[in-house]
Amino acid sequence: MNNSQSVLEYFMQLPTLVKAVWLISIVLFILILGLILYLKILRIYLRKNEKEQIKYQKIYEENLINYLYAGDDVNEISEEQQLFINKTKIEILNTFNRKVLISVMSKLVNDISGEIAVSIHKFYYETGLINYSLKKIKARKWEIIASGIDELTQFEVKQAHNKIEKLIKHPHKEVRNQAQLYLVNLFQFQGLNFLNNLEYQLSEWNQIQLLEILQKFDNQEITNISNWLKSNNISVVMFALKLAKVYNQFESKDALLDLLKHPNEEIRVQTIDVLSYFFDTECKEYLKSNFNNSSKSEQIAFLKLLENTGDASDENFILENINHPNFKIKLASLKILKEINPTKFNNLEISESDTASKRIVEFINNN
Amino acid sequence: MSNKKKIVLAEDNSTLSLLLKFRLQKEGYDLFIAANGKEAIELIEEHQPELILSDIMMPYISGLEVISHVRNKLEMKVPIIVFSAAGQEEMVLKAFSLGANDFMGKPFSPNELVIRVKRLLS
Repeated sequence: MNNSQSVLEYFMQLPTLVKAVWLISIVLFILILGLILYLKILRIYLRKNEKEQIKYQKIYEENLINYLYAGDDVNEISEEQQLFINKTKIEILNTFNRKVLISVMSKLVNDISGEIAVSIHKFYYETGLINYSLKKIKARKWEIIASGIDELTQFEVKQAHNKIEKLIKHPHKEVRNQAQLYLVNLFQFQGLNFLNNLEYQLSEWNQIQLLEILQKFDNQEITNISNWLKSNNISVVMFALKLAKVYNQFESKDALLDLLKHPNEEIRVQTIDVLSYFFDTECKEYLKSNFNNSSKSEQIAFLKLLENTGDASDENFILENINHPNFKIKLASLKILKEINPTKFNNLEISESDTASKRIVEFINNN
Repeated sequence: MSNKKKIVLAEDNSTLSLLLKFRLQKEGYDLFIAANGKEAIELIEEHQPELILSDIMMPYISGLEVISHVRNKLEMKVPIIVFSAAGQEEMVLKAFSLGANDFMGKPFSPNELVIRVKRLLS
């Protein structure tokens, strides 16, 4: 008692600043202690949760596999299977159980095809899990909507098309991305129709994902891409250019030639690249006449096109550029000259002081 | 001593492992399950299986390293079937060059796997 009184008296006599520092230190100490305690409790909770999840995952894995092998005919549900469906319907009323079961089913449905995959889809419908996924896409939180679309994609629920098509305009990027993946995964090239009215930008990653999905289908008959090449959305045009290249859309050549006059430089460069891939020669005259007004990237892309399509008619144009100050343009021009007129290339007069040109010529001769 | 033919299955998807185990056991094979490449090598060395089924992408040691270990270090001629996902075509070619006998692209049908297993073990 005396000790605490003397500590208090000593504290009261301290200068105000020191008192304040002491008070702040005590408050911080209590806060840190509270935080440590909170983290400890959180860790215990998460570990317990993880253990529970692993436990239930094992139970559901076994139950699901027993269910899948309990029937003789994939089109009929056996008595044993019906009992399991009824039991599952009650268990999935609990969100945790539902989450674990969906994760187990997803793991399997991604790696399995044939009758077993059909049975899993049937189980998804019969247990009513589909209704929970459909409910999710009406949620307020974007992450729940995205997860709902993902489930509907994995279990190939085509009847959700109209609802999900509306989500293409959702303000959250992840929801839009999931909706696009749903449409393309389930409706293949027809699913790309969302590009007709797309207002948001398709990221590079989105474009790669969509191309990867499209390539896994047996039916590789692509719909007409000309409208997308004329889109006001730059990312749609960029994606359509990728489609043109991957699916050899030479019939869209007119739309591609129009894109050479597009106000966006990246699109113009990409278009030259696609035309180069098609070994197109129609664009050459336009690109030659516009060469000096083009950006460096366009000039380099055009010279790459000439590496594929160059002939004697391009010789004068090439000769104009063999002394271009840009290294890439100079190198490409000399390479093309060697291809179209080797005699002229070998008889090029390079002054003694022009060591850069000499080295380029030497490099081309050796490669 | 069991006369059942032994198969080591290396697959990190536990649900798929269990499904294939159930299916192949039903066909009369003795299954040993590994969740990663490291476990697979231990099981192969311990049980000397008649067939190996291995996923390509696995934690710790990949399916390619398992094949290389079996062919080069253990010098076993046991048939190996690899599982690959879409976009792993180069990995499949590497698996063949290392000594794999067959491959199945995911998603695959367990019935088709059984046919291939029977063919390789007949």
